Amino acid sequence: MMMTDRNDDILEDIFAQARAVAPTPSDDLIARVMAGVPVPQVASQPAPRRSLGQQVLDILGGWTAVSGLVTATCAGVWIGVSPPESVQDYTATYFGDEISVSLFSEEAIFATGDFFDG
Amino acid sequence: MNAMPDLFAGAPDEALLIAFANGDAQAAQALTERLLPRVLAQATRMLAIQAEAEEVAQEAMIRLWKQAPDWRQGEAQVSTWLYRVVSNLCTDILRKRRGGVSLDQIAEPTDGAPSVVQQMQTNARMQALSDALAALPERQAQAVSLRHLEGLSNPEIAEIMDTNVRSVESLTARGKRALAAIMAGRKAELGYDDD
Repeated sequence: MMMTDRNDDILEDIFAQARAVAPTPSDDLIARVMAGVPVPQVASQPAPRRSLGQQVLDILGGWTAVSGLVTATCAGVWIGVSPPESVQDYTATYFGDEISVSLFSEEAIFATGDFFDG
Repeated sequence: MNAMPDLFAGAPDEALLIAFANGDAQAAQALTERLLPRVLAQATRMLAIQAEAEEVAQEAMIRLWKQAPDWRQGEAQVSTWLYRVVSNLCTDILRKRRGGVSLDQIAEPTDGAPSVVQQMQTNARMQALSDALAALPERQAQAVSLRHLEGLSNPEIAEIMDTNVRSVESLTARGKRALAAIMAGRKAELGYDDD
């Protein structure tokens, strides 16, 4: 029993010496710790770089708007290539053989002839 | 450490951590000045080797910076969280060290000055204590060190170790008995024969 008490006393003495250990952090350790501090996430983190495609997409209004534009463009091309009957007459009028434009009237030609003859 | 004007005097550690997470870089410096000495002291008491203790302290602070953005306000105290991290990091090192370091590796004093002899003896005792902790089951080593080296209460230790007070009491009692037995076997070389 006495020996156990003696051993406990030794341990308590060593514990007390350990509790008195209070090292001061060296400048080197402080520097290492501060070097590990990440750049503050909110205040100074730069905005992520965006590609040219992303910027164009933003200007056009995002993927939703662009998908509408693509659909409208495809529909327009298709109507041009294979127009439905209801618009066929108009396309024939614009692009068919029936278009004829007379730039000079016969009178004007004769008048020119008169000019040369005269 | 060049102490900066304490802009955060009186603010709890958690407030500083949240300020840091919100982009206040000065909060990181204030946290370092406030917490690093405590973290380093805990690691030194458990490990007794300065280089290892500094390594642990640095790693613990890095983990704190990483944790800051995800810190759950009001769930735990920063000090409790750090005690747990340091304790776990130290037991990792003690596990690797088992059987590695002995008193034979500690140099003898080169002159007879009492202060040098006394310092060497203290160093030897701290190293012996650390080696004895390494010989304990890890949970016992953690409980004993938190109780008898850090002076924490059993409820605080229970929170740090994520267990209940009764379990802490048991771990501490068994750990202390085992430590006493180990240290008793080395009392002559630690200078306790003539006390």
